Amino acid sequence: MKSLSSFGIVIVIILIGLSAYVIEDLPAFGDENSPANKYIRIFSMQSDAMGSMLESGVIPIELKNKIYEFGFNEENHYPTLEEGGYEIEWNEENGGWDVLIEEGEIYYNEPIKYYCIRVLGEELAVYRYNWPVRVIEWTEEETATPNAVTSGLADYRGFDTMGEETVILTGAIAVTMLLRRRGRL
Amino acid sequence: MTGGGAIPEKRMAGRDVIIETISRLILPFILLFGFYVMIGTEGTGGGFQGGTILAAGFILYITVFGAKRGREMIPESVNTFFESFGLYLYNGSGLLCIIFSMGAVQFLNYPGIWPVTDLVGVAGSRAWIIAFMVEVGIGLTVMAAFISQYFDLAWKDEEEEMVVRKE
Repeated sequence: MKSLSSFGIVIVIILIGLSAYVIEDLPAFGDENSPANKYIRIFSMQSDAMGSMLESGVIPIELKNKIYEFGFNEENHYPTLEEGGYEIEWNEENGGWDVLIEEGEIYYNEPIKYYCIRVLGEELAVYRYNWPVRVIEWTEEETATPNAVTSGLADYRGFDTMGEETVILTGAIAVTMLLRRRGRL
Repeated sequence: MTGGGAIPEKRMAGRDVIIETISRLILPFILLFGFYVMIGTEGTGGGFQGGTILAAGFILYITVFGAKRGREMIPESVNTFFESFGLYLYNGSGLLCIIFSMGAVQFLNYPGIWPVTDLVGVAGSRAWIIAFMVEVGIGLTVMAAFISQYFDLAWKDEEEEMVVRKE
């Protein structure tokens, strides 16, 4: 029994340390450019005259292959970076180029921000835009719903909310069966 | 009202003119606010919050007028119907997309319901289906679930009190 409780104390201390680490690692509250709200850095590599290629609207082959290596390839159902399948725009706000790609949707097949390529000294850093960026920037145009939370909950993540509602129904039925001992539902 | 010892029995009889009048006055506004929160896609809230407010309105009625009159107002059959009908509305809106578009669009791709899309456009149809089918479905399920749980607890209490009284 004593060994069990000491084992429990060790587990609790490890969990406290883990949560302290996680809290330290969290971005500041309300930070617009935190990874969870904006983009995640995938990798960075030396830029040998790649900037001029990007300015002319072409992604260099080395960069393309590196992106494919990281799993954003056709095997995993990500859009390919073929010629003509993407557009490159200079984004003044981020200090980098945005790669816009058309996804194969039936409605609203318009280019969506996919990657962001920034210049950091002599290196090029490639970022991947996060889902909230699309919801925040496009919700008014795509769904005519000013409330981004509602459209994100009911439209962009409709399957998730459907499951949540099923959970509520199942929970209600379970509580009814537990509380009511009269043998009828 | 007179002494501390008499309060439990008074509570059993439990009729107060002030509380009944005020709650009868305030109930329509609670329900209206609940519907506003539930359907309004332009303000705050959504289906879950609106359903909770609607349930709170009904629970106020049950608390004030007693479980028996509350049961007359919201019969068990109606409550159970709402509980599953809400989920059916949500899933049905997804199924309607497939049926109307003859399988061209995916499940829960709202512009596939072309009668609505013809009326208000692609973006508008998404807004309308979200507001009047999806959120209403969520709200009805949440409301019915809360009310049924409250009724279960209230009935149990009353049954136990009846047993105590008989003894």
